[in-house]
Amino acid sequence: MRHLLAALCAAVMASPALAFVPQDGALGFQPAATRIAERIHVFHHFVLIIIVLITLLVLGLLLWIIMRHNRKANPVPKKFSHNTLIEVIWTVVPALILVAIASQSFPNLYYQDVVPNLQQITDKSDKLIADGKTAQQERFAKDYYPEAAEKGFVNVKAQGNQWNWTYTYPDLVDDSGYPLEFVSNPVHVGISADADNYAGATGRTDFASKPRNLGVDYPMVIPEDRFVRYYTAAADVIHSWAVPAFGVKTDAVPGRLNEGWFLVEEPGVYYGQCSELCGVNHAFMPIEVRVVSQAQFDSWAEFMLAGDYEAAYATVDVFASNEQATQFAAKQ
Amino acid sequence: MPMDEVAIDHHDAHDHKPGFFTRWLFSTNHKDIGTLYLIFALIAGVVGYTLSGLIRWELAEPGIGVMTQFVAGEGDVAIQNAKHFYNTVITYHGLIMIFFMVMPALIGGFGNWFVPLMIGAPDMAFPRMNNISFWLTVAAFVLACISMTVPGGPGNGFGGGWVLYPPLSSTTGHPGPAMDVLILALHTAGIASILGAINFIVTILNMRAPGMTMHKMPLFAWGVLITAVLLLLSLPVLAAALTMLLTDRNFGSQFFSPAGGGDPVMFQHLFWFFGHPEVYIMILPAFGIISHIVSTFSKKPIFGYLGMAYAMVSIGVIGFVVWAHHMYTVGMDVDLKAYFVAATMVIAVPTGIKIFSWIATMWGGSIDFKVPMLWAIGFIFLFTVGGVTGVVLANAGIDHALHDTYYVVAHFHYVLSLGAVFGLFAGWYYWFEKMFGIKYNGVIGGLHFWLMFIGSNVLFFPQHFLGLQGMPRRYIDYADGFATWHMWSSIGYAITLVATLIFFVGLVEAMIRRRKGEANPWGEGATTLEWTLPSPPPFHQFNELPHVTNKGGH
Amino acid sequence: MAHDEVKHDFHLVNPSPWPLLGSFSVIVTALGGVTFMKGLFGLEAGTWWLLAIGLSMVIWVMFGWWREVIKEGRVGDHTPVVQIGLRYGMILFIASEIMFFVGWFWSFFEFAIFESARVGETWDSANALYADGLSRFAGWPPVGVETFDPFHLPLINTLILLLSGTTVTWAHHALQHNDRSGAKLGLVFTVLLGMVFTLLQAYEYSHAAFTYDGTLYGSAFFMATGFHGAHVVIGTIFLAICLIRLLMGGMSADKHLGFEFAAWYWHFVDVVWLFLFAFVYVVPFLVYGG
Ligand code: HEM
Ligand SMILES: [Cu+2]
Ligand SMILES: [Cu+2]
Repeated sequence: MRHLLAALCAAVMASPALAFVPQDGALGFQPAATRIAERIHVFHHFVLIIIVLITLLVLGLLLWIIMRHNRKANPVPKKFSHNTLIEVIWTVVPALILVAIASQSFPNLYYQDVVPNLQQITDKSDKLIADGKTAQQERFAKDYYPEAAEKGFVNVKAQGNQWNWTYTYPDLVDDSGYPLEFVSNPVHVGISADADNYAGATGRTDFASKPRNLGVDYPMVIPEDRFVRYYTAAADVIHSWAVPAFGVKTDAVPGRLNEGWFLVEEPGVYYGQCSELCGVNHAFMPIEVRVVSQAQFDSWAEFMLAGDYEAAYATVDVFASNEQATQFAAKQ
Repeated sequence: MPMDEVAIDHHDAHDHKPGFFTRWLFSTNHKDIGTLYLIFALIAGVVGYTLSGLIRWELAEPGIGVMTQFVAGEGDVAIQNAKHFYNTVITYHGLIMIFFMVMPALIGGFGNWFVPLMIGAPDMAFPRMNNISFWLTVAAFVLACISMTVPGGPGNGFGGGWVLYPPLSSTTGHPGPAMDVLILALHTAGIASILGAINFIVTILNMRAPGMTMHKMPLFAWGVLITAVLLLLSLPVLAAALTMLLTDRNFGSQFFSPAGGGDPVMFQHLFWFFGHPEVYIMILPAFGIISHIVSTFSKKPIFGYLGMAYAMVSIGVIGFVVWAHHMYTVGMDVDLKAYFVAATMVIAVPTGIKIFSWIATMWGGSIDFKVPMLWAIGFIFLFTVGGVTGVVLANAGIDHALHDTYYVVAHFHYVLSLGAVFGLFAGWYYWFEKMFGIKYNGVIGGLHFWLMFIGSNVLFFPQHFLGLQGMPRRYIDYADGFATWHMWSSIGYAITLVATLIFFVGLVEAMIRRRKGEANPWGEGATTLEWTLPSPPPFHQFNELPHVTNKGGH
Repeated sequence: MAHDEVKHDFHLVNPSPWPLLGSFSVIVTALGGVTFMKGLFGLEAGTWWLLAIGLSMVIWVMFGWWREVIKEGRVGDHTPVVQIGLRYGMILFIASEIMFFVGWFWSFFEFAIFESARVGETWDSANALYADGLSRFAGWPPVGVETFDPFHLPLINTLILLLSGTTVTWAHHALQHNDRSGAKLGLVFTVLLGMVFTLLQAYEYSHAAFTYDGTLYGSAFFMATGFHGAHVVIGTIFLAICLIRLLMGGMSADKHLGFEFAAWYWHFVDVVWLFLFAFVYVVPFLVYGG
């Protein structure tokens, strides 16, 4: 019980300080790390208020009826079975509420689902500034990051395999023109040999600091403040690439190429998990995304292309342990 | 439906029944077949419920534990086997609950028993075909159980979820015969349901008693009629999809195989074109039951009868054009998603009409809180909770975050486990005395309700929190941050387990005590035709058809 | 059964063993089918006898069951109101069959129309990046597939089916006017035309320039037309049974439900073919191949 109370308190105070990994006892979303997630949360809370009110209305009516229209309180039942006005009301009002929800829903959907055209963003922002509409420009910038737009996309392809992810960076090519491509294996698959396997494969000693069922050996790495365009594909069965803190989830379907985007401002370690049943180890193909500075990203990429994965990892292992990542987030 | 004047002729004295084996194996009697369906659903329900118990037991704490007890091997080998076993458990739990518990109970059981009684018909239109609907359902269940025990690929049985998505369900994911047997099991269940659907539609269109127009027909019959239409039109599409899967697996066709140019997402479209109507198939009969119970125990006619009937019709119609809200993350065009968002939200309007009309039916009533009414009120509230989270999920923008998480699990269990199943128990306690001619103990029934109400809320409400935090569905093990709410969810299961035991205690108690049932235990509020017959009704009722000469009513 | 007391015209059917036996034979058939395809219970894949037993049982049950129905019809159980019910039933059955074909057409259209859009097209950046892997999605029918010329055998088959639609109507009219020999003649023609259709279709299949397995086009083509073909065969058998019943003196001018149902079914099969002809044969031929 104490446990629960503590959890409730923690959750209600909902400190964004606790970041990146699922928090025990939390009641809501993981803290948003992208504007997409932020907008999802705002919209969700809007809908949440509406549905809580509706549910309370129904509950209240039921309780009222239970108390006032029972056999004792009301021995003689009324016989009415029609009231056109009320029927019209409870058809039209819910419809209007749905229109209100939809008015928020569509902009939200199109914002996250359409990969932005960076040139247009730059142009529009420039124009707003030129026209002196600074307030408008600021609002625009909040959603569309004109400064990042100038730097273009970072492209990453996540391919789901039974049971790990292969990441490909088509723009990062080595001398012979091959793009950077590596496999991101889970650290935990639920067996007793996990620690040894991890140490054996990577030569690292930080097994204990890897959050259970979330950590991988070689994470996907992206630079902060950059538009990331990701593709998903699959080698065998359907998987789904999802990072709750980013508010993204895109199925990885064999034979198809799906696409999405996000932009993360804060460096850190973010975790996600495969979100489409893909067989035996479905629960054990996590997604780890490390967001680092552009400089760190560049040196990481250099090491990766050179084949020195551990050196590359060291450059992005700036959050030496999960604790540190959490503290880092707390500083925000 | 108030029946002011009803003329009936009972013929009790000539109530010859055939011998035991002929009666129960070769039955052509809608009430006996209904009883068979109910017994079958009870058995399948126990199996499905046991499977869900395994799930909750495993998930009670982090790590892989319980499942290793049920599989071969030791240590890490057992863990590896347990992972596949877990996947089969969730798969067969879903399939059994849907195809062999809810549908047989609501449609086969109550539908068979009460559609003919309520519309004043002596039996179903095709009594012999009625029986093969039942026995094919049994055959399908037998095949499904066999498929659980034969090699699937990674282990015995198919572990790809009730939605059977390829390529996990094609030879890529499950090369073994388990999936083939399962496909044929579902084909068989589908044929059974299509035949049943034809039977119900014809019965309702052709066998209503003189004077019973469609607009005087009890709402339960309306619910079953619309359900039957949905079944008739959606199941064949599933059959086509399953056939494609079968030939992909065995004869080299390439429908869902990317290597040959096929498309796994095509299966999802076909599946959900069936699957979404299917979820309404499971709830519309319950809607009907709830309407009767609410009216009976409020001693008031149903409020807005026509609105109620046509709300169900529109739910059925719209239900056919919203299927892709289950597929927001597969990579659909954004405009297409926008369409499905809009269409899906429209369904909330007729659903709201139903909720408010039930409340208005109670309003001004003189409510008697008998056991069926408790379940009905519980249904109305909990179905509302499930419905509003459906509206949340309808928004593709939010669904991108919540799809395939426990939020969805919570949503559909609120509308199914706390909706359809509450409707089922409501019907059970409402008609128990009518069907079996004995009374149950109301205190035990009430205890069953309260424990179930508390237990299933403790079980499913925390799953909303898990989903919002990002807990994915169909996971045997989870990150430590999900532990607390999973534990509570499992505690909730334990409470429902006690409730379920009490349900059986109540059943046994009633069977031992054999208190004689009355024709109409509920009094003036119970106005539909079945209450004009003795409990249990004669083997063949309405040998002389009742004349419905109702003038008042709505 | 207190049948003498019954004061309504509905048909209270006597208990019957066929449903139970039918379900049992379905289990045997299903398990036999999987045994044949995959091997089961220690039996090798390719073991055919279990399937054969199952199918013969299914046929036996159908025979026994429908014989019972025909007998009941003869002793007058099929009163006017029951006949209405049977008609509704048959219409609904055909409705479900239509939805079955909707499934096949749907996938055919999806594959044809969204062939290129399915991968990459709407995501133009993707096209540039992964062009090689996507080139196989460049059109429908896919490059290299040589389709049938719809205006040879398929057109002939269309005419055959349309003709058979008229002969079955001729037979029906004749029967309604108690011209039994006309009815028989019409039915003989219909059955023969149905058989010719099946033979021509089989001939066409054997000359296909694409295969069933391994190619999407082949799968979609053969399954859609193949299920139609299966329905033609069933419809032909249905009509042939009506013919036999006519020859044996069954059916009358005012009561011949079996005949009507066979005719409805035949028209349904006919219409499905017209759709197949238009969309599976002609349109792809004109748009892409012609
Ligand atoms: C207000 C009406 C409803 C709306 C708007 C709605 C909406 C949705 C949506 C959008 C999903 C997909 C969630 C996802 O997978 O991401 C969903 C899932 C589901 N819904 Fe509903 N729903 C409604 C009512 C119902 C009812 C009445 C039932 C059944 C009685 C039901 C049963 C289900 C089931 C079983 C699933 C999950 C299927 C699966 O993925 O396994 N829903 N619903
Ligand atoms: Cu997965
Ligand atoms: Cu749905």
